[in-house]
Order: sequence, then C-alpha cells, then structure tokens
Amino acid sequence: MDYTALVLVVTFFLLLILNVPISFSIGIATLVAMLMSIDFTPAVTTIAQRMAGGLDSFALLAIPFFVLSGMIMGRGGIAKRLINCALALIGSLPGGLALVNVVSCMLFGAISGSAVATTSAIGSFMLPEMKKQGYDENFSAAVTAAASTTGMLIPPSNILIVYAIASGGVSIAALFMAGYLPGVMVGLALMMVCFIHAKRKGYATADRLPLKVVVQQVGAAIPSLFLIFLVIGGIVGGIFTATEAGAIAVVYSLILAVGVYREVKPKQLPDILLKSAETTAIVMLLIGASTAMSWMLSYANIPQNISAFMLEVSDNPIVILLLINLLLIVVGAFLDMTPAVLIFTPIFLPVAAELGMSPLQFGIMIVLNLSIGLCSPPVGAVLFITCAIAKTRLDKIIRPLLPLYVAMFVVLMLVTYVAWFSEALPALFGV
Amino acid sequence: MRKVIRLIDQLVAGTLMLAMTLILLTVVWQVISRYILQDPASVTEELSRFLLIWIGLLGAAFAYRQKVHLGFNLIVEKQSELVRKYILTLVELLVITFCATTLLFGGSQLVSLTLELEQISAALGIRMGYVYVVLPVSGLLLIWYGLINIHNLWLADEEGAL
Repeated sequence: MDYTALVLVVTFFLLLILNVPISFSIGIATLVAMLMSIDFTPAVTTIAQRMAGGLDSFALLAIPFFVLSGMIMGRGGIAKRLINCALALIGSLPGGLALVNVVSCMLFGAISGSAVATTSAIGSFMLPEMKKQGYDENFSAAVTAAASTTGMLIPPSNILIVYAIASGGVSIAALFMAGYLPGVMVGLALMMVCFIHAKRKGYATADRLPLKVVVQQVGAAIPSLFLIFLVIGGIVGGIFTATEAGAIAVVYSLILAVGVYREVKPKQLPDILLKSAETTAIVMLLIGASTAMSWMLSYANIPQNISAFMLEVSDNPIVILLLINLLLIVVGAFLDMTPAVLIFTPIFLPVAAELGMSPLQFGIMIVLNLSIGLCSPPVGAVLFITCAIAKTRLDKIIRPLLPLYVAMFVVLMLVTYVAWFSEALPALFGV
Repeated sequence: MRKVIRLIDQLVAGTLMLAMTLILLTVVWQVISRYILQDPASVTEELSRFLLIWIGLLGAAFAYRQKVHLGFNLIVEKQSELVRKYILTLVELLVITFCATTLLFGGSQLVSLTLELEQISAALGIRMGYVYVVLPVSGLLLIWYGLINIHNLWLADEEGAL
C-alpha cells in the first residue's frame, strides 16, 4: 500500500484543525492526495467533474425541498402546534417538558428532513420554556441535541437519501420505512433517560390538562401531522418519488403556514428561499467534495484494502461489526454526516455484506451511528446550534449528554445485531 | 468598491432565489403533468437536476460570504488575536488556491472539453458545457469573497467590514 491514504488523512486533519471549512478540507486533501499519482491538469479537471457530477442526481433534489419545507414549518407555527400536542398528551408525566421536547423533535423530524431544522425549530421554543420551569439549561440543551437526531432515521430523511445514492441503489421507500422503528426506539431510550433524570432531580410535574383542551390541542396539530401521511404514504404507495414528495411537502407547508395559519407573510418568502438555498448549498458542496474524495479512494484501491484488512483481523461477524461501529463513531465525531456516509459506505458496506448484513440494515446502522457524532464534539452541527440557542457552552453540556449517548449506543447495538428492527416494516409494506 | 461588492452579493442572492423558485415549480409541474394532465413532461427532471448543480455551487459561494460553512474553530479561537489573524489568512489563501486550481482552472477545462466534444444533454438538448460553467463562475466568486475576507481581517478596523 502506498502513502495515499496517510497523506489524505493527515492533510484533512491539519486543514480541519486550522478551521478550513470541512467541505474545502475534503476537497484540498483530495487534491493533494491525487497529485501524488495523477498529473495536475487531469487531477483538477477530474475533481471539478466529480464535484458537479456528484450533484447531478434527481434523488438529491429531495434535499432542497425538505430543507425548504422544514424552514417554512419552523417559522410557520407548525413547530408550536406539534409541541402543544405533545404537551397535552405527555406533559403531566415526571420530567414532562423533557419528554415533550423529545416527542416534538421526533414529530418535527417526521415532517422535515433535517436535524438542524428540528434543533432550531423545537429548541427555540422548548429551551426557554424548560428554563422557566426550573430545568437545568445544560440538560435541556443536551436533550434537544440528542433528540433532534431522531429525525435522521424517522422519514423523510435527507441523509437516508444520500445513503441510497452512496449504496448504489437501495430503494428510498424501503429505507424510509426501515428508519421508523429504530428512530422511535432512539426516542424512547432518550425519554427513559429524561424520566430517570427528572425523578432524581425532583422536577415539578405539570397538572394534567382537561380532556377538552387535550382534544383541542391534538386537533390543532392534525393538519401538520397530515403531512406525514401525504409524504410517506405517497412514497411508499408508489404514487410519487421522494423528490416529488419533497416538492409536495413544500406546497402543503406553504398553504398551511401562509394561507391557513397566516404566520408566514408572503414578503418573508424571498428570505426563506435564500436561506434554504444557502443550507442546501452547504450540504451540496459537502456532497460534491465527498464524491471527489470517494472517487480518489477507489482509484487508489483503498476500500478494497481496508475490507481485506478487516476480514483478515477477525472472521467473527460480531467482532467485525463492533469494530466498524467503533470506527464510525470516531469518524462521526470529526466528519459531518453527509461526507461520512458518502465516503465510508463504499468502504464498509462490502465488508458488512460479506458478513450477511443487508444494505438496508447497514444504512440504518451507519445513519444511527453517525447520529451520535452529530451531537458530539468536536464537529457536531446540531450541538453548536443547541448551544447557541440555549446560550450555554459546549463543554458544559457534555456531562448531561453522556447518559444520552449510552441510550443511543444501546439502540445502535440492537440495530446492528438484530436485522428485524430494520427489516420488519419494509417487509410488512412490501417496499 | 462597496457598491460593486453589494451589486455582486445581490446578483448572487437574486439568482439563488430565482433558481430555488424555478426548481420547485419544475418538480411540481412534473407531478401535475403526470397525474392531472396524464402527459408526463420529459424535460423537467433534467432541468431540475441542472438547477440543483447551479444552486449547489453558486450557493456554496454565497454561504462562504455568509461564513456558514461547517468548520471546527475551537483551537483557532483559543489563539491570541494576531496568531488568529495569521491562521485565518492562511485558511483563506488555502481556499483561494483550491478554488483557483480546481473550480476555476479545472472547471474551465471541463467546460471547454465538453464544448469541444459537443456533449449534448439528453432531454433539453443543451450543451453540457453551459451547465458546467457554474464551476468556474463559483470559483471566481469564492476567490473574490476570500480576498474580501482577507481585507476585512487586516484593514477593516478603520472603514468597517466590506
């Protein structure tokens, strides 16, 4: 093996430490590694071509749409109604507000495709409210960060779309159905931690609301929740593709937020469009750069070398899968989810397939695994947003995050070793 | 100078808003044409894919201007003011070098190559070179914004950030 992989990794980390944006760190590291074996002009032309080519996909188009609809729903009073609905249902349990936080994140994740949209939409409502009720703000921030990653698994999910492309053709409908159960399991595991924490701290519990109010609040959330049936029903029923479902989600949330709830003014729309384009572009540049890096890796035969090496280390599936998971957790801590999925799927999927794991289960496993990285330092997008909203510092929310990591890790192990959790729902719906 | 910078900023933002609106209308039209008019449009899929490439790369430059690309700033933030300025300047220079070589030069190579080969898109029938033009355009914009960032790091004290 030559030094290509080493040069790539060292360059990437040096750039990362210097605060070069991740997408550019990936691009520059790829260029440097490529120049070791390819001439300058073909190298830069290839990278440019891979970067543009990586974006040339109809499936990826779902991402700007789910970003846009997430943004409209975040500003359009939909988050508020989902929170009120959760509050009416479970707000009176011990640690009620923390539980409401988790459930709201799951519901919002179920109608938008991104964790970042969830964090800002739910966090900006729930964090001040939890503070008012005497919850420790660092704990609240930690819960929001961890819970918003459930949206990565609960469809619609942008990252599952990215995985569908990286894996070379796992059906998006199947991935979406597969994500439900593990996503809900993560949510429940996080709620258990919240419940225990609240019991120990003796947080005050809210009074149960009268039934009439409960019915009213749940009723108010139904138009928002209908979006789930529209989007997921449409995709699973084969009526439209994930991309088309995204466009329909935008139209539906526009009607709801501008027309019905009237919380988004038409003159705010240009700004929403621009912000969505910006968020989309951040993800797209990551995808473009990762596609180039992934091409370079396979050009240098690195995925083959790594899988051969791993299968040499041990022939015990349990050990190898654990090893893959531990490696991915480290990767997830340093690399954003999108490049991590695009770069490491071609490396580890063949190994997992060799051990008899289906590409479907592997997809759920890698996304759940990297979700832990999404809310862990040093590079966790969700973590930074939560800290900004909660006005707290990164180092202060690490401690309350620890039990939440444990909960997520337990679910990760279940998903890794029991195929049923990922495969039951897709089989049931025949997708 | 300020006027030129603002004009370019607005031009980029305007193009992005337009492209975002178009991409939405295109895909909505695709659904309508298939289900309601029973006559699937053939150009919509390709058009929306090309728009995504444009949004992705042009938006990348816009996001760079807004300084919202994901990064890891914990170590740099801990340095003294002067060291921090030197590091951030180095970062800008690295990004500028990458954009000049890969996006601007590599992208231009790709554009002229596909134009020479007369590579035509399947449904719309436009030259692929025109789609790839966004690579050098975005490269130029990123270099422009990188230079503005360096200027703001060292000279912005007296006259305010550009």
